[in-house]
Amino acid sequence: MKTTRRHFLKATALTLGMPTIIPAAVLGKNGAVAPSNRIVLGGIGIGPRGREDLKAFLSQPDVQFVMDADVQETRREVVRVMVNRHYENQDCAKTREMAEVLGRPDIDAVLIATGDRWHAVASILAAKAGKDIYCEKPCSMTIRESQELADGVNRYGRVFQAGTQRRNVDNFRFAAGLARSGKLGKIHTVHAGILALQESHKWLPAEPEPAPDVVDWDRWLGPAPWRPFNKDYVNGRWRGYFDFHGGAALPEWGAHTIDLCQWAASADGTTPVEFEADGQTIHGRYANGVKLVMRLSGFKGEGNWVVPGTCPVRFEGDEGWVEAADTGKIAVSSPKLLETGTPATMAGTDPTKHVRDFLDCVKSRAKPAANVDVTRRGHIVSHAASIGWRLGRKVNFDPVTESFVNDAEANRMCSRARRAPWHA
Amino acid sequence: MKAIRSLLPVLLAVSFTGPLTAAEKPEAAALAVLASSADLHEKARACQELGFYGGPAAVPALAALLNAEHLSDYARSGLEGIRDPAAGAALRKALATLEGPHLAGVVNSLGVRREKAAVPDLKKLALDGKRGVAAEALASLGMIGTADAAKTLQQVLASGSADLKNAAAHASLVAAEWLAKEGNAGAAGSLLEAVSRAVPTGPVAAAAKSQKDVLRARR
Repeated sequence: MKTTRRHFLKATALTLGMPTIIPAAVLGKNGAVAPSNRIVLGGIGIGPRGREDLKAFLSQPDVQFVMDADVQETRREVVRVMVNRHYENQDCAKTREMAEVLGRPDIDAVLIATGDRWHAVASILAAKAGKDIYCEKPCSMTIRESQELADGVNRYGRVFQAGTQRRNVDNFRFAAGLARSGKLGKIHTVHAGILALQESHKWLPAEPEPAPDVVDWDRWLGPAPWRPFNKDYVNGRWRGYFDFHGGAALPEWGAHTIDLCQWAASADGTTPVEFEADGQTIHGRYANGVKLVMRLSGFKGEGNWVVPGTCPVRFEGDEGWVEAADTGKIAVSSPKLLETGTPATMAGTDPTKHVRDFLDCVKSRAKPAANVDVTRRGHIVSHAASIGWRLGRKVNFDPVTESFVNDAEANRMCSRARRAPWHA
Repeated sequence: MKAIRSLLPVLLAVSFTGPLTAAEKPEAAALAVLASSADLHEKARACQELGFYGGPAAVPALAALLNAEHLSDYARSGLEGIRDPAAGAALRKALATLEGPHLAGVVNSLGVRREKAAVPDLKKLALDGKRGVAAEALASLGMIGTADAAKTLQQVLASGSADLKNAAAHASLVAAEWLAKEGNAGAAGSLLEAVSRAVPTGPVAAAAKSQKDVLRARR
């Protein structure tokens, strides 16, 4: 039988001859969650976006955050202070080594919010260590890594939630629900807002490497190829570089918007069968004829979307359409589509409901909304589309084998070597 | 092709030396960079390009960089992408001379490529603690996932140190998936039984049990 904290306290009290008066909060009364029922959480690579996730986790009464691993001292100290301030104690530990977090048997789950280069490898290592995983997006650098991530998580039976929180944001759920319910008629086109496609191979000028206990550059790079240190990279300006940002930046928003299109088109179990780029727009087509249009959006209203806001999506059927974006708003082709009520306004970046979904699934062992299987397919779509864009020609894709059809050139772009010894 | 933009000056120079097919141009350009006094960055890029566009002609130049500081992993990215058997042979040959992370990287590349011919070499590395890459060799044997590879995994599961048993157990889960996928469910089941005996508790044991249940359900 598992020894609970309650049993332990009682046994200890009896041993010491103390009366068994136990504070109500410890037993989970008065709204508190007993320690034995809490999910013990560790963090890996929690920077600015990760701290938004962490706030959402800390707001849940059944979470106890105990340790953060980060290769940057400033970041791990910020997290330690943030957590200790929340709990009004000094219990949060910090470390440079993610292995220390993964090696703690009391930790049930991890929040992974490193840069993209580490997401899949860290998630697989966490799965091997028996941890459940909430991982920021994009979760993979390549098609192969998307497969390895899903296979690794499923192999160890872990609960995985990608940080594609829009699956649990009200207006996006409402829009996808309209599409899936048939209220828009037969869906024929889904649109995903994406950032400008880019793939820089530049190296920033070399700067002196800090001491490893300040910034561990070798670990920061991890599985990514070596290049000389420059502080811009570790200060968050690593995006846009081929070696750190997979899929020509398409997965940056595509991890959200293409994922939502897959959901709305009832295509979570498949991918388009062809991709063809036209400048910064990529046209995909599913086997059933539904079109996936990945087109520009941005922070300044680029792309002529009806609803303002970042990460827009639009779902079109033969009887109507709906659009949603991060402002929490929706637009519809007819007011009739709102007869069942409009969703509450909620920022698209708010992870609170997504985090709750994850925690509930950690307890129930059910699959959360952005589980590893939908993540696999959604990310593969992003990567495959970006390969078509890079090649500048139409590419055909087999959703079953998850490879390009009779296209050795494209298939060679499906994986990257990992820098030794950072393999999973 | 957007990906070769940075190599265009070299490509133009090379194209005047004689007629080249469209497929040969990026390879020739990248090889010219590797043969030149170009800086580290340009050579790193050339290795990556050879992973996309290189053929057997690129193998010697890439293999020569497997022991080069900062370029070894880039050279592996080139060799991992070249499907020609010459790339696998070059990686196998390098096992004899490399050490440390460079050796670990090549061991991993052989696993990624599922180089069946590398199984005997990887077996030696898995059983030879002095080379320092036993765990990596076990992982690659798991990725290769043949019956021969499984034999070495079972050997370590039966008589290895605790750390190596654990590494072999994780690798065996991957190997068992390959064996089952390729029609050898019996060998997969035996391997999973060996995992359960060697590592009876923890995440890997739970995963082995789950995999065995799936195998039984398929029968």
